[in-house]
Amino acid sequence: MTDKQVVLVTGVGGYWGRQVADRLLALASARQSEAYAHDFEAHVIGVDVEPPEAEIEGLDFIQADIRNPLLVELLRSEHVDVVCHLAFTESARPTENSFDINVMGTMKVLGACAEAGVHKVVLKSSTSVYGAKPTNPAFLTEDYPLNGSRTYGTTRDRVEIEAFCNGFRRQVPEMIQTILRFPGIVGPEVDTPMTRFLKQPWTPILLGFDPMMQVIHEQDVIEALIYAVIQDAPGVFNVAAEGILPLARLMALAGKFPVPVFHLFAYWGANLLDVTGVPVNRYLPIELDYIRYPWVADLTRMRQALGFIPHYTAEEVLREFVGQQRLRRYMPESAALAYDEERLRDTLERRRRARARQESRLGRDEEEHHDE
Amino acid sequence: MTNDNQPYEDELQTEEIASPPGPDGSSSQYPPDGSDEAEQDFADEAVRQQFTQELDDLIDQVKSANPEYTPPPFSPQGLLALLKKNIEQFSPQMSLQLLEKLRTTIGEDLFDLDTWRGVWYVLNYSLESQADLFKRRLTGEYETDEWGYDQEVVDTVKPFFDFMYNKYWRVETSGLEHIPDEGRALLVVNHSGQLPWDGAMVGLAVLNEHPAQRLVRTLYADWFPSLPFLSTLFVKFGQTLANEENGIRLLEQDQLVAVYPEGYKGVGKLFKDRYRLARFGRGGFVRMALQTHSSVIPVSVVGAEETYISLAKSPAIARAIHFPYFPISPTWPWFGLLGFVPLPTKWYIDFGEPIAMDHYDPDAVENTMLVSQLADQVRNVIQEMIYKRLAERKSIFFG
Repeated sequence: MTDKQVVLVTGVGGYWGRQVADRLLALASARQSEAYAHDFEAHVIGVDVEPPEAEIEGLDFIQADIRNPLLVELLRSEHVDVVCHLAFTESARPTENSFDINVMGTMKVLGACAEAGVHKVVLKSSTSVYGAKPTNPAFLTEDYPLNGSRTYGTTRDRVEIEAFCNGFRRQVPEMIQTILRFPGIVGPEVDTPMTRFLKQPWTPILLGFDPMMQVIHEQDVIEALIYAVIQDAPGVFNVAAEGILPLARLMALAGKFPVPVFHLFAYWGANLLDVTGVPVNRYLPIELDYIRYPWVADLTRMRQALGFIPHYTAEEVLREFVGQQRLRRYMPESAALAYDEERLRDTLERRRRARARQESRLGRDEEEHHDE
Repeated sequence: MTNDNQPYEDELQTEEIASPPGPDGSSSQYPPDGSDEAEQDFADEAVRQQFTQELDDLIDQVKSANPEYTPPPFSPQGLLALLKKNIEQFSPQMSLQLLEKLRTTIGEDLFDLDTWRGVWYVLNYSLESQADLFKRRLTGEYETDEWGYDQEVVDTVKPFFDFMYNKYWRVETSGLEHIPDEGRALLVVNHSGQLPWDGAMVGLAVLNEHPAQRLVRTLYADWFPSLPFLSTLFVKFGQTLANEENGIRLLEQDQLVAVYPEGYKGVGKLFKDRYRLARFGRGGFVRMALQTHSSVIPVSVVGAEETYISLAKSPAIARAIHFPYFPISPTWPWFGLLGFVPLPTKWYIDFGEPIAMDHYDPDAVENTMLVSQLADQVRNVIQEMIYKRLAERKSIFFG
């Protein structure tokens, strides 16, 4: 671990690439510290077609397209150990352009990594790849077949990427491949289908349907990706915050008053929009099936095999989100103060949990040493 | 499971206790016809004593159930405002009578101030707890478990199911001692009656009559998740979709799981085929039990078959509206929603001797022969239990 690692982050111009690169550099330069990142030293290279908006201190930025065949040369000459592949473009409909960047791009990056002998590749995916089906078990394990919807571009591309990765893992067993599947990502900064869903002026739900839902905090997504970059954990993992909530409660906690729509009308409406060429996801950031049927991921592997526990619980994620929303709307002093109190209480609780976890981990390590 | 939510369970109990003394409850003391005779009665010293006594008892009960509750300070103005609020629920004529009665009783100086304080206390308490419940639901301050079980929803609808259980079908149970107080067990039940009332009644039998008041996790068929309201309600009742993943996970959590292996074939049975068990699925429930070393408790439900009389099935209609089956009965679909009203038959739910599954090898799950044999064995046991009960039954409606 004391050797200086070379980490290449693709899509560094995007939100996730920027955040991951920034946090990696902070950990490598010991500006910030984390138990699992002890003695971590790294040279971080960022690749994207456009440079990041704000300059990232210490980042070695290289302007290139990931589909460029010369990527192999770059990986070879820079002796890249780990690739964190975060170049992904969201799209409403399944388009050729998004398929080319997302699916073909991933194929090319993974191909180049295998060619250049890269030690490990980390990818970010979503639990939406399982698909929301009435026949889903209440908890979807990582080996459950991927029946994700093919009508929204983003989900279709993710399913395609995962299908490719699945085959590639068998072809190139010597390269570690870590795929992290996240549920709806919520946070004060990020823009995801879930935050768009919760920010809409009126949010439709389907009358009489209240599926169980999962969320995760944007910081925990970044943290999990970095954890996978630093620690070797081959395989696919669902990563979500503790706490599974019914959709109605999720929206209540996020300060939303749901507008119930009879499900047949909602589906007809969505089809009508689709036929007339209006992007459906402008009004429905989350596909209707995904607010009708359960798609809750099982977290046993995350806890046991990956050993990563998100810092925020689902309730804390939503409380923070709604607090920030309220602040932005400029609330009277008292509300802001009440939120500040809430936030501090949550932060204290989170830190207490993290300390307890770290202590128990240290305790375990010591025991292991004694055993030796 | 049911005792997890202790604090607010208490609240609900007190709410029930608290309602009688309000103006609504006292209407028995003040008959709406308001004859002079009733007034005379009330002036009677013994009745007055008794009423005061009952009120005092009630206040004590509420206080002991929730010691931290303190009502706003008592004032006559506040009390009248509160009374007004509560009285608005009645028809104007009735509330006028009630208020007149109150006026006369105050004029007669019937109660001392302490009693009024008590009334104030109880009214405030019941109002506040109702407002609380509503507020909690809107702000998301309620808890569900990871399967979606929601105690507040269950408490809200339980009185209706209790009525069906106690008064309508007069369910009689036997063999509840075979259900363990804790730890995993798999209830295997015969399915009948067109609508899954039997699932609710078996669950209620264990919840109400078993000493441990266990929650039964019923695995339901995969048609229900696509239906509005029903899907949600089932999840809130702590039930989940029937598949091996869910069943095994629940049993590994040491829960009490109920399966209806006959599925649609059982529930959609014609009247002429009643009490003849259909095929027991593909033996998935046996694999669940073998995998988790859970014992199987055979359960027979008698009486549910006659709640609806299905004379024929229409596969064409069923296909057209995506129903698994579409029964034709003397009342359905001819009388619309009236067709949903079940017949008030007398029900018997018998819980049989547990069949142990823990002495098989771990790889027995893979053994198709063994699985189908065990499934048949359980089926025969249940069929025998049904025949035994039918032989004892003299009347469909009176048992």
